[in-house]
Amino acid sequence: MPSPMIEVRSLRMYFPVGNNLFGKRRQLKAVDGVSFDLYPGETFGLVGESGCGKTTVGRALVRLYKPTDGQIIYQGTDIAPLDEKEVQPYRRRMQMIFQDPYASLNPRMTVSSIIAEPMKLQQAPQDAIDARVAELVEQVGLKKDHLNRYPHEFSGGQRQRIGIARALAMHPEFVVCDEPISALDVSIQAQVINMLEELQQQMGMTYLFVSHDLSMVRHISHRVGVMYLGHMVELAEVEELYSNMLHPYTQALMSAVPIADPDLAAQSRRIVLQGDVPQPIDPPPGCPFASRCRHCMPVCREALPGMREVSPGHYLACHLK
Amino acid sequence: MSLLEVKNLNTSFQIGVGTVRAVRGVSFHVDEGESVGIVGESGSGKSVTMLSVTGLLPDYANISADSILFDGREITRLNQKALRALHGSEIGMIFQDPMTSLNPLFTVESQLTEPLKNHLHMDKRSARARTLELLRQVEIPNPEARLKQYPHELSGGLRQRVMIAIAIACEPKMIVADEPTTALDVTIQAQILDLLQNLKRESRASIIMITHDMGVIASMCSRILVMYGGIICEQGDVREIFYGARHPYTWGLLNSIPKVQQKRGEKLIPIKGTPPDMLQPPAGCPFSPRCRYCMPVCRAYMPPVTALSDTHSVSCHLLHPNAPKIEREV
Repeated sequence: MPSPMIEVRSLRMYFPVGNNLFGKRRQLKAVDGVSFDLYPGETFGLVGESGCGKTTVGRALVRLYKPTDGQIIYQGTDIAPLDEKEVQPYRRRMQMIFQDPYASLNPRMTVSSIIAEPMKLQQAPQDAIDARVAELVEQVGLKKDHLNRYPHEFSGGQRQRIGIARALAMHPEFVVCDEPISALDVSIQAQVINMLEELQQQMGMTYLFVSHDLSMVRHISHRVGVMYLGHMVELAEVEELYSNMLHPYTQALMSAVPIADPDLAAQSRRIVLQGDVPQPIDPPPGCPFASRCRHCMPVCREALPGMREVSPGHYLACHLK
Repeated sequence: MSLLEVKNLNTSFQIGVGTVRAVRGVSFHVDEGESVGIVGESGSGKSVTMLSVTGLLPDYANISADSILFDGREITRLNQKALRALHGSEIGMIFQDPMTSLNPLFTVESQLTEPLKNHLHMDKRSARARTLELLRQVEIPNPEARLKQYPHELSGGLRQRVMIAIAIACEPKMIVADEPTTALDVTIQAQILDLLQNLKRESRASIIMITHDMGVIASMCSRILVMYGGIICEQGDVREIFYGARHPYTWGLLNSIPKVQQKRGEKLIPIKGTPPDMLQPPAGCPFSPRCRYCMPVCRAYMPPVTALSDTHSVSCHLLHPNAPKIEREV
């Protein structure tokens, strides 16, 4: 196996959320000790429910947040503690595609200035910018006469293409796709997914694909990590994970996905979890999933299970195995 | 016997730049105790169809229909007051986003007792007893405490349960669920779908489920209407649609979602282009600009409805005896 492009070690991202009764700061532990590797050219799927910290991991990796603790080793350099100026050279190599194509494009800027902005910030010459913009627009399947229009003139799928063109402008090595298709209609989702796959084949980029759509993650990812309440609970190659899931949360999550095939749906059994995801503010000690787990043992409420490699490439954080 | 029978429903909206023809000649029926799914993309007219039937559209909506029969009554001829009584007590609505459809200024109790007082004329004490019973029915833990709470104090899943409790409060004959789980996480979605199935088993009400999620439809509904560009392009029972679809748009919908057993690297087959602009819908078949099998006739004339079985019918020129025979690509 090649050496990892990004090594994430015990990443922690806490947000202050006001004071408690005695004036003590409370903390929302959005990400609480997550470790994994990203290999060049792969797509790593990050799944979980809202509030599990998957988007925060993505944002911390491209340094939109400064992590509270932990390391992000990007090709040998730990970029987690770098300040705004020191991290600048890494910015062009890492880009992000956002979830909401309505909120992530400036409505007052034309398509060409949106796509050109990252290059302007890196002080590229104007003729190089123009040439690159024309090239990008073609690559993402838009037309040249779209360049002088404004975002409101486009449909959701087309806007997401504009966002992708902007992300690709600086030839990034690593792109975080944060729920890139969840705001789009089903028939448009497949267009965008196919385009992301083709672009990866042409340019060999590494994707971190953050999504709650488990069937799309299965389709696009090489390896998948499952997150719950700020922790990574299971991580494996995609086929291994979907055929041999070990964590009770992964099992419940996968079984909850409605199957778009009536015969298979009739055969399958849903594991319905009781209750809601707890708040990540001052979480109790022990396994984050203990309060909803069917197999909860006394030890689960006391000690946080560590990540162990249960079979080659398959990592699990659970006291059961 | 059919509970709801809609014939030739047309709904349009007059807006500044012209007329949006959101629903164009839709006819369907829903049997007693049946669960029917309406699928389609945003703008296909699936929500507007049901909002027209339930009378929840704003005044500037222009609704016309040859006939809308609900439980044997012609509701196109009812006056405003009779309609209101019917909609409140005999048709229950569940909306997509419980945060916007519940009133943030009122407690769960006052929102739940409103239909009981208005439609069933219950007094305060019996209404309270009934609200507790309803909250238990939708499996809300600790219902006494929840009654005093406001919507913002509840999680998304609990809010949707309150919404469902309001919808079933008057024991309606028909429940219309408009994207009831779209705003929820998968594990919460599973809880809500389970609950809806249990309620259906107990109450024998008909359920109309509006969604864009083929997975939800496959596990919840016995019959499916596929809508595109304001028309029903195909309808049939769940097996006829999933295993024997004949409309290229239905094929496209089924092909653009990853299959359960699909291996990595297999391409999805997307539908090219974007949905039509309903200000100027195409003259012929609304799907013709995106259809791979489009023929000249498709652009000029709306396709007729061809019945393939008692339940299965398709609106597509490809089913004409002289048209080329085309099978779904898998």
